[in-house]
Amino acid sequence: MNAPANVDARVIHLISQLVPVKPQDIKPEQRLRDDLGMDSVSSMELLSMLAEDFELDVGVEDVADVHTVGQTIELVKVFLAKKAA
Amino acid sequence: MRADVVDERTEVVDALREQVRRFCEREVNARDIDAAARIPKAVLEGLGALGVFGVTLPEAYGGAGLRLEDACRLVDELARHDRSVAVSVGLHLGLGTRGLVRYGTAAQHERWLPKLASGEAIAAFSTTEPGAGSDLSSLRTVAKEDGAHLVVDGEKSYVTNGGFAGLFTVAVSTPGLGGAQRGQSLVLVEPTDPGFSVQREEHKLGLKGSSTTGLVFENARLPRERLLGEPGQGPRMLAHILSWGRTLMSAGCCGGAAYCLDKTVAHAQQRTQFGRPLAALDVVKERLALMHARHFAMEALVLATARQQDDEALAVHSLAAKVFCSEGAGWVADEAVQLHGGLGFIEETGVAMVLRDVRVTRIFEGANDVLLTHLGTAELTRRASEGRRHSVSEVEAALDDFALSLHSTHKLRVFRQPRLLHALGAATAWVMASRAATQRAHLTQHPTQLAFAKLVEQQAHAAVARASTPLTDDTLVHAALGLERTGARP
Repeated sequence: MNAPANVDARVIHLISQLVPVKPQDIKPEQRLRDDLGMDSVSSMELLSMLAEDFELDVGVEDVADVHTVGQTIELVKVFLAKKAA
Repeated sequence: MRADVVDERTEVVDALREQVRRFCEREVNARDIDAAARIPKAVLEGLGALGVFGVTLPEAYGGAGLRLEDACRLVDELARHDRSVAVSVGLHLGLGTRGLVRYGTAAQHERWLPKLASGEAIAAFSTTEPGAGSDLSSLRTVAKEDGAHLVVDGEKSYVTNGGFAGLFTVAVSTPGLGGAQRGQSLVLVEPTDPGFSVQREEHKLGLKGSSTTGLVFENARLPRERLLGEPGQGPRMLAHILSWGRTLMSAGCCGGAAYCLDKTVAHAQQRTQFGRPLAALDVVKERLALMHARHFAMEALVLATARQQDDEALAVHSLAAKVFCSEGAGWVADEAVQLHGGLGFIEETGVAMVLRDVRVTRIFEGANDVLLTHLGTAELTRRASEGRRHSVSEVEAALDDFALSLHSTHKLRVFRQPRLLHALGAATAWVMASRAATQRAHLTQHPTQLAFAKLVEQQAHAAVARASTPLTDDTLVHAALGLERTGARP
């Protein structure tokens, strides 16, 4: 399946590659660990995939407070804006 | 395992340890247990009468209300006599009852804790499934709501104490329960629950006296009150329960290693080669010193871990303790077999059984390779946020350099390279053990202990150097397997 173009959908698409949940069932309020069953390794792997997919220069220290799907989407948007500035 | 920080409870635990030691010397025969592949009922009842099954359970329900550290010292003592008994008790005190104690309701406590504290009922715990081990997100055993009940379907594997447990804490997938789209929860299961059955005993390489079974749920109906803690919060609860389980298992590793060490020292003093006792030979002396040092560090790390009050710190320490102690116990047991010569290969000597018994500790309660990746992830995340530390020992500084170089080179991409995280985890475990050993030795200022700590620090240095200069790279690995390189993600 090709990755969707808009940011929200692309993030959700990448998450769905790491957890056995369909993209349409992934919601912004869901927590990566408690709700989607990720652990410390897979949640960091996700953030790594996002940085690569969107070509963002994100450091480990930038993702310390990212716990939900919505926060993940927001992180990507913030760094995309920085990149465009 | 001697307490390195003495307080008002130390005497209580010392007295109980002494009672347990005398009981085990009288009643526990490891070779008989191994040969019969079962622990005599009288042994379990005797330990129950001593209060062993209730040491960490609340006093209000017949337990002793002692701490994780205290339980570790008891499990260590048991493992010196028999690892099957130690694992059965350790499982009961950790994985088996910790969830109920911490997250259970008053009604759940009243129903089960008195029986669990006396040993009338023994606890078991289960997450592993035929298709899911360390990956909790892959659980296939599902519990669905049906009015006032939960209907459970699925299978579980490798359940310690499964054959005689009176209560099982079981991790299940509960889609939609608790508001989460996909969550895992914990449920409490009794052996007589309709639709629930315990499978046959597995035949194992070691720990033959312990019970290991599968579980089957076929339309099993449990009252909704069997949910433990908040629905959908399984991973959060499991993190704490597994921390206890891994720490207690590590304590058992210390006891197995202590047994091997005692036997080997005695043998080396009695056995004469080239006109001198083995213990007088330089090569043997060095190996005995390294065995002592490793065992000292294992104990230090277990005690340091058990004293952690913060859940996150306990989780990280328990990863390091589990890996370091399981590998240490295997190494010490292997050295014991070697230094016994031909006798070491003979079952009657005793150390061969320990070698078989401790092998599984590198596998169960989280395979070491998986845990090292988690430990590496935790260390890298922390180091990247906190930066290089000042006024730390050389070996700690070397670990900082390694972690920070991984971060500066790979940024977030490092989290898609499990081999790097694994290597960092391996170095971290050694450095944490070295830290614990140094702190323990400084408390006593005993010259022998200070020497142990120095020896461990040297090995930790070597571990960091080894981890930061891997012998293989992706190109070599792929060439060796005859594969074309397809990128970082297989």
